[in-house]
Amino acid sequence: MSTLLVAEDVAVFSSHLLVHPASLTLQAGRPFTILGETGSGKSLLAQAIMGTLPRGLRAEGRVTVGDQRLDLASGQGHRALWGRTLGVLPQEPWLALDPTMRARKQVEEGYRLVRGLPAVQSRIRASADLAALGLGNAGDKLPSELSGGMAQRVAFIAARAGGARIVIADEPTKGLDVFRRDEVIALLLKEIEDGGGLLTITHDLELARQMGGDIAVVLEGQIIEQGPAADVLGAPRHDYTKRLIAADPSAWPERNAAPKRSAGVKPVLTAAGLAKTRGGQLLFENRDLTVLPGEIVGITGPSGCGKSTFGDILLDLVTPDAGTVTRAEGVARVRFQKLYQDPPAAFPQKVPIRRALNDLVRLHGLDGSRIAPLLERLRLSPGLLDRLPTQVSGGELQRFALLRVLLLDPVFLFADEPTSRLDLITQQETVELLAEVARERNCAVLIVSHDAELIRKMSDRQIAFGSPPDAAALAA
Amino acid sequence: MAADLSLPLVAERSFWSTQRIIGVALLAAIVAFAFVTPFVFDGSPTRQSLRNVLGAPTVLEPLGYDHLGRSMLARMSAALRLSLGLAFLSVITAAVPGIALGILAAWKGGWTDRLISLVADAFLALPGLLLVLMFIAIVQDAPWALYVGISLVLWIEYFRLTRSITRALVLSPAVQASQLLGFGPLYIVRRHIWPEIAPLVLTVGAFGAASAIAAIAALSFVSVGVRPPTPELGLMMTELLPYYHEAPHALLQPVVAVFLLILSLNLIAGSNSR
Repeated sequence: MSTLLVAEDVAVFSSHLLVHPASLTLQAGRPFTILGETGSGKSLLAQAIMGTLPRGLRAEGRVTVGDQRLDLASGQGHRALWGRTLGVLPQEPWLALDPTMRARKQVEEGYRLVRGLPAVQSRIRASADLAALGLGNAGDKLPSELSGGMAQRVAFIAARAGGARIVIADEPTKGLDVFRRDEVIALLLKEIEDGGGLLTITHDLELARQMGGDIAVVLEGQIIEQGPAADVLGAPRHDYTKRLIAADPSAWPERNAAPKRSAGVKPVLTAAGLAKTRGGQLLFENRDLTVLPGEIVGITGPSGCGKSTFGDILLDLVTPDAGTVTRAEGVARVRFQKLYQDPPAAFPQKVPIRRALNDLVRLHGLDGSRIAPLLERLRLSPGLLDRLPTQVSGGELQRFALLRVLLLDPVFLFADEPTSRLDLITQQETVELLAEVARERNCAVLIVSHDAELIRKMSDRQIAFGSPPDAAALAA
Repeated sequence: MAADLSLPLVAERSFWSTQRIIGVALLAAIVAFAFVTPFVFDGSPTRQSLRNVLGAPTVLEPLGYDHLGRSMLARMSAALRLSLGLAFLSVITAAVPGIALGILAAWKGGWTDRLISLVADAFLALPGLLLVLMFIAIVQDAPWALYVGISLVLWIEYFRLTRSITRALVLSPAVQASQLLGFGPLYIVRRHIWPEIAPLVLTVGAFGAASAIAAIAALSFVSVGVRPPTPELGLMMTELLPYYHEAPHALLQPVVAVFLLILSLNLIAGSNSR
C-alpha cells in the first residue's frame, strides 16, 4: 500500500485558532473519512489541505503529495496540483455543473484543458468514462435533463478527468435520501478499489461506517479520535464519539408499546381516498388515514414521493385531486400546526424571535407568561429570544418552532422532516423532546422522514410512501 | 457549538458605510442650505435691481447677482427647495402605489398579476422623459403636471422590485407558517415582506430622487415645466447661459448644485452594492 498524501500539523487560523494542528495520512486504496458535525471545522481542515481556504483564513503545517512538499503557511504550490493530482467533488455536485453545457463537454474539458489531450481523444475518453458509469446515453444532455444521481456521477467523472488520483469529497451525501446515498457510497468505493485516494468529509455516521478505512472524529476544531473506522466506531474511546454513535437512530432504544387507546376516542383528523398528481406524475392515490389524539404516526419514503404533500393536504395547504379531509369538530383551525424542515426558513428572517412570539401571543390573546416554562421545558436559554432566527443554531430554532406551535395547544402537528438539517445528537434531542411533549399534551404528530430507522423508533405506527419496490424496502 | 462558530459570520454588514455617511452629510448640508437660508438671509428670489446685474459675490451677497440683478443666494435656496420638494413628493407618490401594486400582483398572481404587469410594461415601453413631455402637453401649464409625470415613470421600479421579492416570499415556509398560526395579510406584509424590501426601497428611492431632480432640471432647461420667474435649477442654467463670459460664477452655481444633489443621493443609494 502506497502513501498518497501526508498532512502534518495542519492548523487553520482567522484571528484565533479555528482548527488545532492535525495530522493525517492518506493511503492508496484506503478511504479516509473526517467525521464531525456542522461547524466543527472539518471542512476547514480539508480546505487547508487542498489549499482552497476562504479569504481571511490562513493555514499552517505541511502537506506532502507524492514527492512534493508544500508549506501551507506560504499558501503556494497548490495550484499545479489541482485537477491533476487533487480533485474535489464539491458539495451538492449538481450545482457545480455548468447548466448550459452538455454532460460530455464538461468531462471533455478536463481531458483537453487540464491533461492537454487533443480534442478527438478527449471526446473518446469522456465517452468511455460516461459509459463506464452507466451514463452512455447522457453525454448529450444538459444537467437540467439529468436526474440528481446522474448529475452527481457526471460531476464525479468531471472532477477526475484531469487525472486526479486523490479525490476529496466534501459532504457527498448532503441532502440525499437513503437510496441516493447508497449510490454515492458505491461510486466512491469504486474509486478506492481502483487504487485511488479518497478523503471524505461528512457528518453522516452511516456514510463513515460504510466507507470503512481510516476515520478521524473532529470536535470543535480538534481531532479527538483517529484510527481504523471499525475500531473507532466499534469501540469509541472519546465521550463525544460515544454520544455520537448512541445518537444514531439505529442505536436508539426501542420504544415502549404505544399506550392502549379506548375504542370510543374520536379521531382528530380523518382523510379518505386522497390522491395527488404533480407535474403529470401520480404521487399517490386512495390514501386513507385516521389520526387519534396523542398518536405519533410516521411516514417514510424516498424524496419526491409526495409524503410532504400528503401532510400539506391534511393541513389544507395543498388541494388534493380527489378525496376528503375531515377535522375534529369544534377545534380551532390554528390548533392544526406544522414543523418545517429548515427551521430558519420558517421564521420571519429579520424579526427577533421574541417579537415573533409576542406577536402570536397578542394575536390570539394568549397568556404570555406561558413562554417561560415552555423555554425551560424545551431546554432553551431565554437569552436566545432576542436573537434573529439566523443567529441561533438549527436545533435551537427547531425547538423554538415547537415552542411557537405549543403556545396554540395543538391537537395535530405535522412535522415535515423536522431533523433532516440537524446533526445526529441534536436530532435525537429534538425528536425525543417532540415525542415527550406531544405525549404530555395529547397532541397527535404526523412525522415525515426519509430515515426509516428514525420513524420506526419514534412512531406508534408507520406508513410507507413511494413506488412499490421502494415501499417494500422501507417497510422491512 | 454550531451556533457559536457561525455567529460572527452572520451578516452584520453595517448600514452606515463610509460612502453612505458622506452622502447623508452632503444631502443634509444641501437641505440645510435650502431651508435655513430664508430665515437668516432677508432677500427675495424675484426682486430685481438693475444696478447689480451680474454682480460678483460680496460679503452681503455671498453668491452674487444674476442677469436681472436678483440675489443668487435667495434664488439658489428657493430653487433647491423646489427641486427637493418635487423629488421627495415624486418618490413618495411613486413608491406607495408601486409597492402596494407589487405586493398585490405577487400575492394574487394570475390575472391580477398579468394585468398590473401589462400596465407597467406599457409605461416602460415609453421613454421616461417623453412620457413626462406628453403629459405636460396634455395638461398645459399646470405645475403639478411635472410631478405627476415623473411619478408615473418612477413607480414601475418599485413595482418590479417589490413583485419579484414578494413572489418568492409568499411561497416561503415562513409565510406559510405565519398563515397557519392565524396571522393575516397585514401582519405578513409588516413582518415578512416589508423588512426584506425596506433597504432596497431606500436604495431605489435615492436613485429615484436623483433621476427626478435630473428630469426636472432637464425639462426646465428645455423650457418645459416651470416658467420664469420661478427659480429652478435647470431654468436658471438656461437663463444664465448667455452670460457665461461675464459671470461664470452665476452659471456654475445651479450646475454645481445639481451635481452635488445627485452625487449625494447616489452615494446614499449605491453603498448597498458594495
